[in-house]
Amino acid sequence: MAFARMKSLLRNLLHTQREERELDKEVRAHELLLADENIRAGMNPEEAGRQARLELGGVEQVKEQVREIRAGHLLEMLGCDVHYAARMMRRSPGFTTTAVLTLALGIGANTAVFSVVNAVLLRPLPYPDSDRLVQMWSTNPKANRWGMWTAYPRFEDWRRENTVFEEMATARTWVISIKGGDHPESLFGVITSSQIFQLLRVQPMLGRGFLPEEDQPGHDHVIILSYGLWQRRFGSDRDVIGRTVDVDQQNYTVIGVMPSDFRFPPELPASYRVDAWLPPAPDPSRNERGSNNYYTFARLKPGVTLAQAQAEMDAINDGLAEKHSEDRELGVKVVGWRRQVGSEVRPALLILVGAISLVLLIACANVANLLLARGAMRQREAALRQALGAGRARLIRQFLTESLLLAVFGGAVGLLLAYQGVDLFIRLAPDIPRLNETTIDPHVLIFSVVLTLGTALIFGIAPALQGSSTDLQDSLKESGSRLTIGSTRAKARSVLVVAEMALALMLLAGAGLLVRSFVRVQQVDLGFNPKNLLTAFVMLPPSKYPEPRRQALFFHEVMDRIASLPGVECAGGADSAPMLTNDTGPVSIEGHPVEPEIQAERPKITPDYFCAMGIRLLRGRTFTWADSEGSLPVAIISESAVRQYWPNEDAMGKRVKLEDGSAPVWRQVIGIVGDVRQDSVVEAARPEVYAPLLQVPVPYLALTARTRAEPAVLTAAVRQAVMAVDKDQPLSGIKTMEQVVEDSVAGRRFQMSLLAVFATIALGLAAIGIYGLMSYTVNQRTHEIGIRMALGAKRGEILHLVVRHGMILAIVGVVLGTVGALLLTRFLSSMLYGVGANDPTTLLSVATLLIGVAALASYIPARRAMRVDPMVALRYE
Amino acid sequence: MAPDQTNLLQGTLHMMILKALALGELHGLGVSRRIEQITKGTFQVKPGSLFPALHRMEEEGWLESHWGESENNRRAKYYKLTGAGRRQLEAETKRWGRVALAITRTLEAS
Repeated sequence: MAFARMKSLLRNLLHTQREERELDKEVRAHELLLADENIRAGMNPEEAGRQARLELGGVEQVKEQVREIRAGHLLEMLGCDVHYAARMMRRSPGFTTTAVLTLALGIGANTAVFSVVNAVLLRPLPYPDSDRLVQMWSTNPKANRWGMWTAYPRFEDWRRENTVFEEMATARTWVISIKGGDHPESLFGVITSSQIFQLLRVQPMLGRGFLPEEDQPGHDHVIILSYGLWQRRFGSDRDVIGRTVDVDQQNYTVIGVMPSDFRFPPELPASYRVDAWLPPAPDPSRNERGSNNYYTFARLKPGVTLAQAQAEMDAINDGLAEKHSEDRELGVKVVGWRRQVGSEVRPALLILVGAISLVLLIACANVANLLLARGAMRQREAALRQALGAGRARLIRQFLTESLLLAVFGGAVGLLLAYQGVDLFIRLAPDIPRLNETTIDPHVLIFSVVLTLGTALIFGIAPALQGSSTDLQDSLKESGSRLTIGSTRAKARSVLVVAEMALALMLLAGAGLLVRSFVRVQQVDLGFNPKNLLTAFVMLPPSKYPEPRRQALFFHEVMDRIASLPGVECAGGADSAPMLTNDTGPVSIEGHPVEPEIQAERPKITPDYFCAMGIRLLRGRTFTWADSEGSLPVAIISESAVRQYWPNEDAMGKRVKLEDGSAPVWRQVIGIVGDVRQDSVVEAARPEVYAPLLQVPVPYLALTARTRAEPAVLTAAVRQAVMAVDKDQPLSGIKTMEQVVEDSVAGRRFQMSLLAVFATIALGLAAIGIYGLMSYTVNQRTHEIGIRMALGAKRGEILHLVVRHGMILAIVGVVLGTVGALLLTRFLSSMLYGVGANDPTTLLSVATLLIGVAALASYIPARRAMRVDPMVALRYE
Repeated sequence: MAPDQTNLLQGTLHMMILKALALGELHGLGVSRRIEQITKGTFQVKPGSLFPALHRMEEEGWLESHWGESENNRRAKYYKLTGAGRRQLEAETKRWGRVALAITRTLEAS
């Protein structure tokens, strides 16, 4: 039987026309047979024929019913529907283009955003079996700190004592200088324990990974190069393995080269390239249990759960807390690595997803609106098809097929847009971990196909229901429909326009809040002047500058040389400068009980640092080069330090002590300066305790030079000044301070710009939506308007009539949208600065903007209505 | 024609068409009149149900058709049972017997 059906299927598909002719003959013969019967029963031929037709119920209907049970009917019908839909699309290119482009915009933007979310949040890390990888954080519950790094000795204890991990490793970033070539070069290195490559299950492209003993002193002068460094500095020489290179004035042996696609750490943004991996040999803090500098990760043994690992690590941690005073307050937390990588950008990305989904909904509403308007014009066609035997389900299927075809075209164009959009997104986006891994992969394609189908259903269902529910009688009549048709249709369209308005308002509110925040951020007083300020880093290798005195002398000489450059007003340096570097730690206040929790920023600075940065001196004096080893230990503190440490006293002359491992001496406060925003533009200033570099030498300074003109042109001169003191000493991270500040708000700017673009699209679509509806209404009501005018209505009244209709829709939309915005904007609160999530000014301005645009969009069709000539309108029937 | 008469269960309609054709070949109207005659007018089969059923049964391989002349010289399509159709009629008759018996018992039980 199955075979018989298959044969029928083939016959039906291959010989459609013959089958159709046969069917037609058969049904018509039936009608004639019926008529014959009736004649035999005594009717006259005319009446017999009429009765026969009545009993038959329509030749075309019967034929359609037969077709519907035929094998392959669904397939054949789909083919028909698609064919027909394609013809309809070709016949109205304007409509098709508008709908396809609107959908392409919506689907494309959503696909692009999803591909970013996919790469940053969803895709596994780029290592084999990466779902077993975890990160380990030290915590300090008492100080409410949950994401601290870990001291190297503590890591070594964890590694030795645990039984739940296959491997455990640790890493930190480290700037190294490498000699040779025309100038010494600062490299971006990663210090790591030896198991890293076994743990990640990645092999070097050339040579070998670290041996287990190679993170121990005596074996640790080995280095593994990145593919980029190998190409750039070693000319892709395969014989590089075994060669000795000068790193920080010490000899290291090259043992391997990593493949070009290897990235570690995975959360490092794409703009950072790691040049080399090396053991912890250069890091003096590797033996300090109090220096939490290392980022630790591990691979779970098969079958071990995160909870089991956490339990064992807790037990190990309790043991360590008893043995080591530094560990007493510390806890440990084991977390899945992939989840951790995206955790910082997750909220921002999810907001983008939400916003772009709203844009897609508006696009759907717009296309639905277009389809409804077209449905009105196609009403007679639908009625005709119904009269010819198409059932309601059949018509719905036909309309949905048309929607689907539109969506498929939209989706295809959207995919192209997404392809371009992703590139643009990556180019413009600030540093987001793993962003560079973004591609249109199979997951993205599946997403986009599902989105396309879903979209077709969303925007197609209302027009399909509406279009198929025609009243045969009304529609087929030649006239008389003009006033009655489409009242429900107009209602559906009004609902859609109101929804578009509401959604657009929500997006506008979100964008408005971000824009206002950004303006506030731009107005923040940083406490220093970023204009005409050049910055760079110098790190003296401890092997070459072991004595603090020589470090201090080096910087003294460099400062003098830079300050004497033409175009430089003054030059300074600090080991902790705003938005560049940090040295946060405890300080003691004389006469106060000892509190380890008194934390301050502790910059060691050269005398002209305040001049260079443009930090205001409020009282007392700044440092001079005379504040040196032999003289009175001094300090300068910031306003917030005064407020916090001596709230009701005169701080001048009081004494403080740096608890940073330097000589424990009391320093007299000789000056007070203004606050600076140390961490970022938006974070409040913290107390600062400045000490003179000559009294507390450090090997590492951020140089700052205030220039008279564009600072970037002095880059070469500043580098020369440093090399004039030591020809092997590289300079790194040369940037203008304006650039540094700009980078620190880049994420905010990007988020704001994207949301602003989305909101603008939404506004445009909503305007098109209301314009379309008002034009349609005016067309529908031409006759009515004609009558009104003939009866004496003034043009102004007609204008008022139409604009008022548009305004009512806009206001209802705005009210609903405001309610939605009040509910939704709180998800933005973490991204706002200086404005509340329900800021009334913002809501009021975007509401006004939206109503203004809606008024304009209704005014244009209203003017057309006003110009209706009553005579023409009435004759139009 | 009362509306409930047209809502024949599809399986039942197939069975009745098979039965009607068991005595010899018929055209569509003939099938319809034969069913009316057998059921004494209880069931009247409208063309809208009859033709889809005939075509479906032909696709299943239970019937075959050819064009012939009607009693008053009209060309009409005639249907007759195939071997598979006869076997189907037997199977349906048995099944119907079981179902009818079961339903009768159920109704008498209470």
